Amino acid sequence: MTRVFPLSANGAAGDVMHLCVDHNGTDIQDLTAVARFGLKGPRATEWFEARGIDLPPVNRQIHLADMTVLRLGKQDIMLLADPLAPEPMSKVAESWRKNPTGYSSWREEAWAWLRVTGPTAGATLSQITTFDFRESAFDINAIAQTRVAHQDMVLCRTETGFDLLFDIAATAQVVRDLDAARKLEDRH
Amino acid sequence: MTRLNAPFGTRINQDNTLRFTFEGRTFEGFEGDTIASALAANNQWMLSRSFKYHRPRGVMSMAGAEANTLVQVAGEPNVPADLTPLKDGMVITAQNVNGNLARDRDAIMDKFGRFMPVGFYYRTFMGPTKSAWLKIWEPLIRKKAGLGIIDTATPRQHFDQQTLHCDIAVIGGGPAGIIAAVEAARSGADVVLIDDQPELGGSLSYAPQTDVDHQALGDMAQNEAGLRILTSTICNGLFEDNWLSLIQGHQLIRARAAQVILATGSIEQPAVFRGNDLPGILLGSAAQRLMHHYGVRPGGKAVVLAANPQGYSVAHDLVAAGVDVVAIADPRKDGHGVPPTGVPILQGMIQEAGGCAHISKVKIRDEWITCDLLVVSVGQTPAWQLPCQAGASLGYDEASHQFSINLKNPTIHLAGSVAGHIGHETVCASAGAAACHATGAEPEELPADPERASANYHQPLIPHPKGRDFVDFDEDLQIKDLLNAVKEGYRELELVKRFSTVGMGPSQGRHSALATARIVAGATDRTVAQIGVTTARPPTGPETLGVLAGHEHVNERRSALHQQHVALGAEMKPVGPWWRPYLYGTGDRTSLIHDEVAAVRENVGILDVSTLGKLEVRGPDAGAFLDRIYTMAHGNQPVGRVRYCLMLSEMAAILDDGVAYRLAEDRFYVTATTGAVGRVYADMTFWNAQWQMDVDVVNITAAFCGFNITGPRARDVVSALSSDINFSADGFPYLHGREGNVGSIPVYAMRIGFTGELSFELHCPASQANALWDAVMAAGKDFGLRPYGLEASRILRLEKGHILIGQDTDALTSPDELGFGWAVSKKKPFFVGKRALEMRRRLGQKRTLVGLTFPADAADIPGESCLVLKNDIPVGHVTSVAYSPTTKQTVALAYVAADDSAPGSVASIRCRNGRVIDTPVTAHCFFDPDNERQGI
Repeated sequence: MTRVFPLSANGAAGDVMHLCVDHNGTDIQDLTAVARFGLKGPRATEWFEARGIDLPPVNRQIHLADMTVLRLGKQDIMLLADPLAPEPMSKVAESWRKNPTGYSSWREEAWAWLRVTGPTAGATLSQITTFDFRESAFDINAIAQTRVAHQDMVLCRTETGFDLLFDIAATAQVVRDLDAARKLEDRH
Repeated sequence: MTRLNAPFGTRINQDNTLRFTFEGRTFEGFEGDTIASALAANNQWMLSRSFKYHRPRGVMSMAGAEANTLVQVAGEPNVPADLTPLKDGMVITAQNVNGNLARDRDAIMDKFGRFMPVGFYYRTFMGPTKSAWLKIWEPLIRKKAGLGIIDTATPRQHFDQQTLHCDIAVIGGGPAGIIAAVEAARSGADVVLIDDQPELGGSLSYAPQTDVDHQALGDMAQNEAGLRILTSTICNGLFEDNWLSLIQGHQLIRARAAQVILATGSIEQPAVFRGNDLPGILLGSAAQRLMHHYGVRPGGKAVVLAANPQGYSVAHDLVAAGVDVVAIADPRKDGHGVPPTGVPILQGMIQEAGGCAHISKVKIRDEWITCDLLVVSVGQTPAWQLPCQAGASLGYDEASHQFSINLKNPTIHLAGSVAGHIGHETVCASAGAAACHATGAEPEELPADPERASANYHQPLIPHPKGRDFVDFDEDLQIKDLLNAVKEGYRELELVKRFSTVGMGPSQGRHSALATARIVAGATDRTVAQIGVTTARPPTGPETLGVLAGHEHVNERRSALHQQHVALGAEMKPVGPWWRPYLYGTGDRTSLIHDEVAAVRENVGILDVSTLGKLEVRGPDAGAFLDRIYTMAHGNQPVGRVRYCLMLSEMAAILDDGVAYRLAEDRFYVTATTGAVGRVYADMTFWNAQWQMDVDVVNITAAFCGFNITGPRARDVVSALSSDINFSADGFPYLHGREGNVGSIPVYAMRIGFTGELSFELHCPASQANALWDAVMAAGKDFGLRPYGLEASRILRLEKGHILIGQDTDALTSPDELGFGWAVSKKKPFFVGKRALEMRRRLGQKRTLVGLTFPADAADIPGESCLVLKNDIPVGHVTSVAYSPTTKQTVALAYVAADDSAPGSVASIRCRNGRVIDTPVTAHCFFDPDNERQGI
């Protein structure tokens, strides 16, 4: 079964797929198809802790061997697979399905995942959000749940740039806004 | 066009000539010029006509502080000529001119000034007849009022917005701003220095002081690590929590600073005397800007009004630039400065300036002196706008005759002349102190400021018997106008402003506030401090709508099937943020829509309903939770059943509707309307926090897609799918739900619909929606399955009499008004809105939603929102209306008076053409009222 994501060739945002490239220092990479898994609601935390998965404080992320753990709320946790090695995370998700505690947050279907990197990534994003990107205010592995490109967005700072997780139905609009922002950045 | 040689003309490049036109004449300027400086260099001093009297006006401040220099540049009106860089090929015209600038036909207005006293429009336009305002005055005013011409054919321009965060923002790049910024940056803070000029230095860039190297100051800032510099950037507003709106060309920078240092300097003030508005009368700083920045000699024969030390400095500058200074007028009785060699000092005030389109003479001590330039230097006022936006109060220092600013905000600090400091040493010390305050260091005590006492001249403001002594140049207000406003009884400044319009023009009181305060204070026997200034609000200066709008942005959500619809030839239309298929195909739209309706009624159609709100409610208390949220009973709803949901507000108004499919004892799949799901989710989350039930709610609107297969052959289509779901009539009754698979795609199937036909609604995870759609379309190929769009869906639902939340309901609609008593549980002890519903029932029902029909050939058919009348009084309105291709008539839903809602009653409706028609009331449902088609 082939799953179709917005930035697939025949996906809802297929017409803007060509914009997901590097442009003068800001690279937009689509990771929506990469596996991820989230639990929320009562007893979500306990499930992870019972499996020995370290949980960061709220609005922080930590990197484990093959996945990244995002703490979005006290009882709202999400795992992002390593794009090159998604298997370990998929096993965690499978193990939950066999013995579920807490509730699926459906992040793998509800959210698009873009990775924005490059030397001008912060400047590009600063045109479409009021969020403070300075490292002193938003350091590596920090998470912000804020508004970007007129959308509610989970923004994670990584070593190389930013991960953006947002409403999958708005993918075309966000990609277009990101592209417009980096082109405006060219003019400055 | 001759220019002064170095050291004058620091901003222009005389090697690069630019050509432009003004009022049809071709001129030349240089790179670095502003429009006004280039015109002044060509001896074109008149730039505009005044607002009311159409008097000739020109450069006065060279700081964008008055309406005199607003010009039209191609399609853009109200461009400040004294701030806007000249560009090659610019086409510039004057504003507020009838005919041409030199021969303005409306200049005659100046002769009729006595017929237009202050506030005349409050009286004049009331008559002479009852409708004179609409027929005479408004058209006339619309023709005459307003500055510039909006060109709707203006080429599209790019605007964008940027966000900037810093520890300390310093506004103003003069000596105080530079020192404050550098010292703050040296303490390790992340500092941004913002200045509206293209270079740093402030007044030092045009009024050099022998002992201060302004270039070195600028270099110090440029070389300071950790200091970002934004030049040509206007801070146009200071909002809560130090949110600053910075405008740099076509870009709005939204800045947020932990601390702000305002080093915005001061605004030089004009003198008030008869004829003080003539072109050729310049503020001292304007003359210096023209000479030092642009190499423009402002005149040949000058008189200088020097009522402070700065005036004498200007006189020396003029002499150095080759201007013949014929006299210095100093109204002070003592304390005169040192004039240039050979220039006489005349003790006295300018009484009057004379000239036609340009100054030609001034009167001092009753003697006329011939000149072509009058430079006035009488004092300044702190730039109070940003501090006052930050909550500062304004006082008045009687000793130095200037406003004083009292700002008690621990995150905003004043530095330099905005704080009332004049002497360079004190200005620098105050900047250091501001940096200390902003960084938490201990500031040093400020030195004495001996220059402060003589910086401002307190001019007695006595009206000239012949008037034309302007206080507000934007609004053509004279001293007598303000005195008359007080005589009318408007003693408070805010009232004086509203009656006289003082301070309402583009300059926003920069040149009129101090003089107005003095005039009102004198006329009401109060102090200037008691009068103060009117409320300062952002924006500080004009800003374009393009800057506020930013770059073009289209809010857009797409269902996972978007490209499928496009490939099928759908006409996509926005519905809120979603883009949905309106209809499929090209050609006659009405025929296409009616064909889609017929396909559903006679065969089978498919509608993408992915935009419907979808929520998963799960947990041991899920049923009990929905019992409280919705009006029907869900706690006892069997697993595998689908039940209608109706959500009320606490005042029993309908918020939303949908269905709840019980997937398991502790799990519901709930739908909501497309537009309301955000509100429903927020309300559920709120109530869950209040009630602390063991339940979790997640909004999975975008995570799932759904489509409805509907029509007499719907079962044939779904039965042809490779699925483990039993789609037979016995195996899958109406209002039941099933979990299963189509191929390997997990689906929720529900026997629900919106058309009144046999319907199956299939929902699946969004990433697999395309595969499911392909499977259904393939299964339906042999049965003629065709997609239909939103408009056909609206007609189908109206034929069946289904309501649309938000269209057939409003913010007050109760279930009873819709006849939805069946959807409200009588047994439940509580649901949101229950108590209010009971109270509303006791008050009695005033309106009811009913059905209306109109023959297909009816001459008058009401539109949506047309009023329903009873005894000529509106009692309701038409909510939905459409031609029904199935029943061959026009059908509508409308609110009528409750006692006229029985079928057979008559409703009177006023159509858009004004005719009132009577039509019989029917039930909601116009098609298959016994539900024989959907339940099969």
